[in-house]
Amino acid sequence: MTNKLPTGIDHRKILEERISAEIGRRTLLKGIGAGLLAAGGAGMLPDLARAQQNGHIRIAAIKHIDTLDPHFTFFLSAVQVINNIHNGLLKVTYDGETVRFEPDLAKSWDLEDDRTHLFRLHEGVKFHDGTPCDAEAVKFSLMRVKSGTPASPHAWKLALLNEIEIVDPLTVRLHFAEPYAFLPVALTGSTGRAGTIVSPAAVEKYGMDYGRNPVGTGPFKFVSWRDNDSIELEANPDYFEAGMPKLQRASFVLIDEPSTAVAALVSGQIDGMTDCPMQLVAQVKNIPTVTLYGEIEGNYTYIGMNNRSAPFDDVNLRRAVAFAINRDTLLKQAYFGLAQQAYSPISPPMSGYYDPNIGNTNRGQRFDLAKAKEFRAKAANQGEIEVTYIMAERGPVGTRVAQTVAPMLSEIGIKVKLELLEPAAWVQRMKDGNFQMLDFDWVADLDPEETIFPEFKTGGSWNYWGWSNPEFDRLCTEAQTIIDVPTRAALYHKAEDILMDEAPIAMLAHMPVYKVFSKKVQGFNYIPCDLVDLHGVSLA
Amino acid sequence: MAAVGPTTANAAAPPANGKPIRAKSMLRRRPFFSLALVITLGFLLCAVFAPQLTPFDPTAQSIDAMMMPPGGAHILGTDSYGQDILSRIIYGARYALLIGIVSVALGAAGGLFLGVAAGLASGWAEWVLMRVIDSILALPSLILAVAFIAILGQGVDKVIIAVSLSLVGPFARTVRSDVLQVKVQLFVEAAGLMSIPRMTVIRRHILPNVLFPLFVQVTVRVSEAILVSSSLSFLGIGVTPPTPDWGLMIAEGRGFVSFAAWMSGMPGLALALLLIALSIIGDGVREEFDPKLRSDR
Amino acid sequence: MLAQSAGRIVQTIVVLLIVSGASFSLLKLAPGDPVMLMLGAEFSQESYDSLQHDLGLDRPVLVQYLTWLGNFVTGDWGTSYVSRTDIFTVVVKEALPVTLTLTACSIVLAVAVGVPLGVLSAVRKDSVWDTGVAVFALTGTAFPSFFLGIVLIWLLAVQLGAFPVMGFVAPWDDFRTGMYHMVLPALTLSTYFIGMIVRVTRASLVEVLDQPYIAAARARGEPGWRVVWVHGVRNIAMPVVTMIGLQLGGILQGAVLTETVFSLPGIGQMLTGAVLGREYTLVQAGVMLTATLFIVVNMIVDLSYPLLDPRLRPR
Repeated sequence: MTNKLPTGIDHRKILEERISAEIGRRTLLKGIGAGLLAAGGAGMLPDLARAQQNGHIRIAAIKHIDTLDPHFTFFLSAVQVINNIHNGLLKVTYDGETVRFEPDLAKSWDLEDDRTHLFRLHEGVKFHDGTPCDAEAVKFSLMRVKSGTPASPHAWKLALLNEIEIVDPLTVRLHFAEPYAFLPVALTGSTGRAGTIVSPAAVEKYGMDYGRNPVGTGPFKFVSWRDNDSIELEANPDYFEAGMPKLQRASFVLIDEPSTAVAALVSGQIDGMTDCPMQLVAQVKNIPTVTLYGEIEGNYTYIGMNNRSAPFDDVNLRRAVAFAINRDTLLKQAYFGLAQQAYSPISPPMSGYYDPNIGNTNRGQRFDLAKAKEFRAKAANQGEIEVTYIMAERGPVGTRVAQTVAPMLSEIGIKVKLELLEPAAWVQRMKDGNFQMLDFDWVADLDPEETIFPEFKTGGSWNYWGWSNPEFDRLCTEAQTIIDVPTRAALYHKAEDILMDEAPIAMLAHMPVYKVFSKKVQGFNYIPCDLVDLHGVSLA
Repeated sequence: MAAVGPTTANAAAPPANGKPIRAKSMLRRRPFFSLALVITLGFLLCAVFAPQLTPFDPTAQSIDAMMMPPGGAHILGTDSYGQDILSRIIYGARYALLIGIVSVALGAAGGLFLGVAAGLASGWAEWVLMRVIDSILALPSLILAVAFIAILGQGVDKVIIAVSLSLVGPFARTVRSDVLQVKVQLFVEAAGLMSIPRMTVIRRHILPNVLFPLFVQVTVRVSEAILVSSSLSFLGIGVTPPTPDWGLMIAEGRGFVSFAAWMSGMPGLALALLLIALSIIGDGVREEFDPKLRSDR
Repeated sequence: MLAQSAGRIVQTIVVLLIVSGASFSLLKLAPGDPVMLMLGAEFSQESYDSLQHDLGLDRPVLVQYLTWLGNFVTGDWGTSYVSRTDIFTVVVKEALPVTLTLTACSIVLAVAVGVPLGVLSAVRKDSVWDTGVAVFALTGTAFPSFFLGIVLIWLLAVQLGAFPVMGFVAPWDDFRTGMYHMVLPALTLSTYFIGMIVRVTRASLVEVLDQPYIAAARARGEPGWRVVWVHGVRNIAMPVVTMIGLQLGGILQGAVLTETVFSLPGIGQMLTGAVLGREYTLVQAGVMLTATLFIVVNMIVDLSYPLLDPRLRPR
């Protein structure tokens, strides 16, 4: 199927880098193992495709969940649940070292040329409502994202998709307008969301209420959702991946107050938490009956400065801020010593783009008080500057970053006035550009495209800072259509260097994202993009 | 509140039931009252002389001294920023008393105005004022406070305004019922017949008879005001951190309860001590001076 | 009688109108945009516009209010912006029973503990008992309820394992488990009212015990317990009931925090979430319901006076 184009790019090689080609065999082996065990217990002929389902897992979900409609949700907390109900064309996997994109509902994924992708689907896969998951369903789902009404917020991820061709009932060919480097992320059923396949019959039936009645192909079926109470799932005995799921029921218990969730975990009332705020990590580590999962994920936190108006329209003052923040102190005090210093936005899980050695190069931002003072001396305003820093009880560490950074800036003659806002008002002020300083976080990214371009491109809808640099825009636009990783990485590094030098933001940290499970919970597969993957989980 | 207790004892002493009450004998009869008075005065002194009394700057952070248990240089330990808890509690007395007293004073003033107006009005004006008071009471006050904070912005002053607005309703209702009782009494009706100006009647006859019960209610409401402000901190919209406010300290420390209980426990104890002392003083003053309760002493 | 009832109904309607108008305008005055909050960090102008239009939030505020009011009185409470579920179902059928259960349990607990303590301290006025009860009652009122809740969770649920940490189990499905889950929340919420009930009981009983008919009963040689519990306590029912009615607003307010700490899916938690998320229609429904509850309970309190105090019965 794969052929070489005159461009000299070997698509097969690229694809092999992206996916582990042995996917089919690996899961099958796993499945056989599970099936044999089950057979041994039951003493009869093994049915390889069926797993024994028992156990009821209760997991606390602390963060707000908006909808279980994969094409309309805005929150990773929702994806954590959605991911167990639906499958995508592709999925994210992690072996403890490398994040990969593997076929999920697709049995195989081939690049015919640099803009044509061929997906062959698994046979006999059915949605929870009994309708078949075939090429039509794939086309329906992708079109729902790309041009459905109402418009999906993830439509941009498929903007370059020109045509969906149904080759036969189990084969689709996607034609893209340009080579699309972001495609693997976009087509996953998890953080990309755009590649999640939903039941056309259910969308027809429920319309906008699909988010409360999701019907996918995943290992768990949706049962019920009661506000402030719980979301209930039950095993899908007909799941297409052998040996899964192992649990009979799964509940996402909706708990607002994190310290209550930890208490419930200690007392055994729940079996895990979809998220463990950093301030509770020390406490959780002391509980002998639980396991904490967590690694630095694809995110970064930063201080955003309003570049449109004084005083931060002055590049030297912004640079002074970027160099004045003592990252060691910040990591210890605001992040309880759990996060990792960020020199630039591209984060550790972005294999091939992240430079693990960046701390020893001269790229990026870091603490250097002498340099900060030097830039401060070049700033237009030499008097004491008073700035307002808006903060809210939101994000991973609430107001801790603001409280820690404020005294540091007095070292360079910037007096920070902290203003606590109600979260809704805070979001409004950020969106309206009605602020001087704030701290923000950009989370669960897997590709440099989503991690720097929408946030900093000229006039971009998430560019709250009012920063603009044509060269940065050009570099990122060029990188969008380049598939070769080293070439693309070089472009992003150049773009990052411009961004870090002009400092519309001051980089702070890459954060670990934690999940906690009781030791009874076995087979949890940690994936560093904030997923709670229950496919292979069982209860001892 | 603390300052008010003893001064009222002197001011209100002579007339009432003719036989002078000596503050001294009252203190002897009520040992807990004296203790409460001492505690409240202690907090008042903390509030006034905070800069002189504190061993550390209440907002000085130190990464070498994060979450230190009580003992050593930090007698009551440190919080998750390495800030000294004792110093923060001493400074916190300022905010507790400020929020408690000012918001209750504002709430009482608003309630007094609305209550007297409703009590004296007649016809449709009375009807409308009554419905306004009913509506204020029927609105969930914490929700009201959250909305006000969102509109006004945050900070100690905004918290005070939000809390005081939530107190207007209950005050207005008490005042109105007292006005109604006074209004039908002979001397007021007589004054009306003698065509004495309305404002004079209010000033001479109504206010003095309404103010005392109002004052008695104040002591209970001060505690309530401080508790409401701490609830706002729990919801993440109270006093701005790192202000050394007890409610904020309790709210910030709640995530560490299982292994660093002092972070929320110490300010919690300070708050409880002050509120208990204020209530004892309030009860004592009421039982000594309230004509209704004094009958047989 | 008929005219009086009609007057009452008109009053209630006017109060509810003022309440709805006030809460709607307050929330609209507050900065914050439900569409933006729903969309999270990543969204485009197109998705913003279409969602805003779908929710009807692109129309003038007065039109929004009147539309809401029209729908509300005709029984259409609208759909939650976020969950897209029917608000009447969510608020009345799901959240209200939880809050009512919590409130009822707390009031029962507060009366069960507060009245006997109040009686004890009135009968043994100025004794060590009196002081002890006062200190106990005051301690309960002196801690913020969220703090008390968290401390109770760690002490009684985690350390001792005596009660569940969180969650709601409907008592009408499983009474024992339901009540078991209610113990800590009810205890947390009731402490404040135990203090108040002790005060009211004590103050009223002290007054009652001085009345001539008590002296008469004593003179007749009735035993002390009978004098207190039959003649005395019967006469303090009115102030205690009045206080519960007046404090209902406070109980609902306390329920906001208690429900959050113990993760109970009641009105308080729902209403806080709705205010913070600027879900206007959901807030309106919650506010109208609590306001109605407040008015109705106070009406019941008024109506119960003749039952509690024979002197007020119409002759």
